[in-house]
Amino acid sequence: MKAPQNGRGSNDVSHGCENRRLSGRLLAKSVPYAKASDGMTVVSARPSEWVRPVTSKEPASAIIEIDRVSQVFQTSARRDHVALSDISLTIEERAFVSILGPSGCGKSTLLYIVGGFVTPTSGAAKMKGQAITGPGPDRGPVFQEFALFPWKTVLGNVMYGPRQQGVRATEAEAQSLALIEMVGLKGYENFYPKELSGGMKQRVALARTLAYHPEVLLMDEPFGALDAHTRTRLQNDLLNIWERDRKTVLFVTHSVDEAVFLSDKVVMMSKSPGRIREVIDIDLPRPRRRSELLLDPRYQKYVVDIERMFDESDEAGIAS
Amino acid sequence: MISPAALIRRAAPVLACIGLLVVWQVASLVLKNDSFPTAVEAIRAIPDILGDKEALLNILASLRRMALGFCVAVLIAIPLGLLMGRSRSVAAFFNPLLMVIYPVPKAALMPIIMLWLGVGDITKTLVIFLGVSLPVIYHSFEGAKAVEEKMLWSGAAMGLSPAQRLVRIVLPAALPEILTGCRTGLVLALITMITSEMIARQSGAGNILFNALDMGQYDTVFAMIIIVGAMGIFLDTIFERVRARLVRWSEPQFDLPLSFS
Repeated sequence: MKAPQNGRGSNDVSHGCENRRLSGRLLAKSVPYAKASDGMTVVSARPSEWVRPVTSKEPASAIIEIDRVSQVFQTSARRDHVALSDISLTIEERAFVSILGPSGCGKSTLLYIVGGFVTPTSGAAKMKGQAITGPGPDRGPVFQEFALFPWKTVLGNVMYGPRQQGVRATEAEAQSLALIEMVGLKGYENFYPKELSGGMKQRVALARTLAYHPEVLLMDEPFGALDAHTRTRLQNDLLNIWERDRKTVLFVTHSVDEAVFLSDKVVMMSKSPGRIREVIDIDLPRPRRRSELLLDPRYQKYVVDIERMFDESDEAGIAS
Repeated sequence: MISPAALIRRAAPVLACIGLLVVWQVASLVLKNDSFPTAVEAIRAIPDILGDKEALLNILASLRRMALGFCVAVLIAIPLGLLMGRSRSVAAFFNPLLMVIYPVPKAALMPIIMLWLGVGDITKTLVIFLGVSLPVIYHSFEGAKAVEEKMLWSGAAMGLSPAQRLVRIVLPAALPEILTGCRTGLVLALITMITSEMIARQSGAGNILFNALDMGQYDTVFAMIIIVGAMGIFLDTIFERVRARLVRWSEPQFDLPLSFS
């Protein structure tokens, strides 16, 4: 998979969140400001890499606001199950935000509410100030199950969105071919989904969603069904793609490593009822490289701290 | 160069047919029953039937009714089945009706329909229509129900309206299942076609068969059975070709070798 290894240096600047590590706040409303060079910016180990000096940056504006959202499901035993309880969260434009939690904490439900696929029992989600009432091309989902159209080829799948948006066939095809190349599937344009491996299917799904230019990517454990090796490769490729055009990403995962590696901000959720437990700013330099990051003590500390917090809550849950 | 195993595989259907005819011939020669002609006699009667203009017109009339009944059934049953599969209220409304009709042999409805609509084409076509509809509705329903929710969500995010999602996502996604229903429906169309002509004796392939039976022309009876059977095989083969082409995307990618060669 080709990707711009020599990422643009400007990427390093825009994650200027406060270094409010592990501050125990429930509401995720960090106000990013121009960060003073506090040693957290990249001083690249490689001299070839050009890092632009940190400059002041406008505070990012909120793109998604989740306001006291609760979701109650009826179980098969006709009992109410509170999947989400009173969730409030603000997601800033161009941020990569992960929602991290154990299975059954309602993190996917929260994503579906933002997608407009599920209507919350109470509360509201807003996109750019507008209440979300249903799905729309401004919010593009990528699901763990891929959900490709099996009767369409790779190209047909990727072109589907643009064609639906009224883009002319020749234009849609040209754009789609470029996207397919970007996700590393050049040469597979005329394959059907059944002929592809899981990792390749997820690449197609990503390209298909990127093709209609959503402002927000909603990723629902996208790499959850993949083996460890494929997963790592797709994480790297996703970061490379994201660092090019920096869409807002809401990324649901249960993997601590994955959340820390990818995100600007990790929203930790706890289980039954689903609540936000902690919002953690991940202040690690970009562009991120796996090989560098895994050796970085700050990355390791984030991972260990978050895992410890989950352990503590588990034990508290057992004790109570 | 064809391997011996492949040759046997290819020749197998022909060998099976020849084997059946041989058994028939021997059984008939042993039993020596007037109502059980030999295979050779039955096969000899086929050109007589197909050479007869009136018989040919009768068979063509049968096929026309069958085609009409089948097509109308498919055109109504597929949308209905898909709607039932995607909407609980539509399913709740139609399910009890279909459950009542399903186990009733459609030919059993014929006397009533004949009273209302006469013994003409309409009655017979209607019975074929009923016979074909149910399996097609059922399979469309199951196919639509099984469509992955996330696939529909993906479509919705691209801006497809509910109606567009039904036509452009549910329909193609359920197509393999729908076509399985249509294949069953096609065979049922042939069966109900003959049965309807057996009850309303006026014209058609079934009429030839039962007239011959009445007159004791047993070689013609058996010849007609062969002709109807051949029509079934022919129609099914054509349909299977079309089906395989339409759902190429869902078939297993590689044919696993059936033999251990």
